[in-house]
Amino acid sequence: MKKRRFGLALSLVLAAGTLLSACGKDEGNGAEGGKDKKDALKVGMVTDAGTIDDKSFNQGTWEGILQASKELGVQEKYLKPGGTTEADYLKEIGNLYDAGYKFIVTPGFKFETAVFQAQDKYKDANFVIIDGSPNDGKNDPVVADNTVSIFFAEHQAGFVAGVATALELKEGEAGFIGGMEIPPVQKFNWGFQQGVAYANENLGTKITIKKENVVYQGSFDNVAAGQQLAAQMFDKGVNVIFAAAGGVGVGAINEAKTRVKSGKEVWMVGVDVDQYADGIYEGDKSVILTSAMKKIDHASFDMVKRFLNKDFPGGETLIYDAANDGVGIPEENPNLSDETVKQVKEVYEKLKAGEIEVSAEQGDLFK
Amino acid sequence: MRNTIVSIIAILLGLIAGGLLMLAIGSNPIEGYNYLLQGALINIERIGNTLATATPLIFTGLAVAFAFRTGLFNIGAAGQMLAGGLAATAIALTFEFSRPVMLILMILGGLLAGALFALIPGILKARFNVHEVVSTIMMNWIAYWSVYYIVPGYFKGPSLETESQKLPDEYTLRAPFLSDMFDGSYINYGIFLGIIAVIIIAFIIDKTTLGFELKAVGFNRHAAEYAGMRVNRNIILSMLISGALAGLGGVALYTGNASSMQIGLLPSQGYDGIAVALLGANNPIGVFFAAILFGILYSGTGFMNAMTEIPPELANTIIAIIIYFAATSVLIHRIIDKVKRSKANRPEHKKGEA
Repeated sequence: MKKRRFGLALSLVLAAGTLLSACGKDEGNGAEGGKDKKDALKVGMVTDAGTIDDKSFNQGTWEGILQASKELGVQEKYLKPGGTTEADYLKEIGNLYDAGYKFIVTPGFKFETAVFQAQDKYKDANFVIIDGSPNDGKNDPVVADNTVSIFFAEHQAGFVAGVATALELKEGEAGFIGGMEIPPVQKFNWGFQQGVAYANENLGTKITIKKENVVYQGSFDNVAAGQQLAAQMFDKGVNVIFAAAGGVGVGAINEAKTRVKSGKEVWMVGVDVDQYADGIYEGDKSVILTSAMKKIDHASFDMVKRFLNKDFPGGETLIYDAANDGVGIPEENPNLSDETVKQVKEVYEKLKAGEIEVSAEQGDLFK
Repeated sequence: MRNTIVSIIAILLGLIAGGLLMLAIGSNPIEGYNYLLQGALINIERIGNTLATATPLIFTGLAVAFAFRTGLFNIGAAGQMLAGGLAATAIALTFEFSRPVMLILMILGGLLAGALFALIPGILKARFNVHEVVSTIMMNWIAYWSVYYIVPGYFKGPSLETESQKLPDEYTLRAPFLSDMFDGSYINYGIFLGIIAVIIIAFIIDKTTLGFELKAVGFNRHAAEYAGMRVNRNIILSMLISGALAGLGGVALYTGNASSMQIGLLPSQGYDGIAVALLGANNPIGVFFAAILFGILYSGTGFMNAMTEIPPELANTIIAIIIYFAATSVLIHRIIDKVKRSKANRPEHKKGEA
């Protein structure tokens, strides 16, 4: 009996082997057929520690590349490194390069040192690094001729979201929860405070922000801490919290959902991408008032497009801000009234035209 | 010999299972494996990278295997790696010596820190019979949060908030001659340390009284005690050596393959060490080759990914399946035993069954 079972297992393995080689041939022919796209530009991306659907950097960058694939016919591919060391990143960049992907996009400041080396090692490839600039970990950044470094004007995104928040709520108290106390997060915070102040002065709103309600949690992944911080703020009478804090912000959003479900009126302002869907608590109702967006997908799409048009700004450090529609609030904001949307648009136009200046420095703002 | 055959069967089964998965998602397994191998070995740079990828796994594999021999399950290799890497990084960023002195200090520091981190579970096990699986896992988190606190607090890099300062080149295990020889690969002295460790551990296990005693404790603790061996001392010693090995793995990873510490990450090599030890049948030489195989798999995935339509998530799954099968060599031992036994017991049924 046992012997027979073993024989069965063996023949199964053999059968699998035959199948395996048979299908191998089929697939081989298929690959030949797919070669016509070969002339297209091959755009590669290496993800950071998160997944491709992280609702943040990876996803934003990838969506831009997918758009380029659809509209401009480029061939796309992303690789997920096995670890997060510079060596891991370089290995994947090398893999893309060897496979013919010579336009490589990397999301996030963690790639700074890897791109610094790659831009010299692969001189005939082009690199785009988002939210960072190539450096060797010690000295000033060096953006080589085959590389573009992209930053976003987070303070302007925060400003527009601040104006929208103030206009919609008219009066009340706002708070801010940040992740780590690092420049992009700080700029969101300072911009938001300026936006609220602008609306108070010029548009007749009465939103206050107290010093103790501007806090940095210290990490981007402590969901429970985000929930606690939000709970404390709501208890102290805060009506709306702007959370620029990754997973910590998710915790804050969860707290807001719980409170809204039990009949309280509190709001959240999302960050980086349109977080409306993350704040849904019932049907299509969301606690997300609006989101302070960095349009990362625009950036990666633009770079591919400009490269194809022989207009790749190699060696430059680009800032995506209101002037080139690189930051702002989502196109659709179901929680904002038409009146608010209209007024925000006017403010945005002024920002675009340079009539309003938003400072990227702390000045006399909180934290 | 038998162990070798079993391990090879395990690997083959793993490859077949991975191949079936590739078929299931409509990819060509032969092409896939071809690119996997090319990615790991196609040129001298890639070979160097593969060896460097394997280096920390050699250490963690040895660490787990060594503790196994004494009947201890050291799951804390990841934490011990962090401790070792942090100690070496801290030494390199704090003091200034000539390169050889510094490297020796870093290696010793890493070794001691790893050993210390394993000493605590060792003592708990020997004195209070606290199970080492629980205590080593908890030590992992102590290491994780210590790094989280110490790196940003004392060794923060100028631009990267979540990483330590980069070590100066002369204070890492990288050597220009090696990088040149391997065409710009990140291979480093770590691989030599690994080979030396394999030889020393093989010697300790097979040729010394200490090794004999450790194995005796592993086979039967009570018998060893009855034979007059100091079981508690041996348990602590075994954990110390195991931790020292994992600590060295941390030195190789953080000051060789990488040149800075990152916060918020337990190195995956810690748990992979368990699979490496299983596949290597807890034998130092076996561990060495198992680690190289893992190095090939991990290095080759990216290239397989880039050259085929297999998405990265599935590529990782395929690698995981190969590892899973490879680590189930115990099952294959059993099957072989059963087959043999049924042959021996019932030779008269042979014709009828076939």
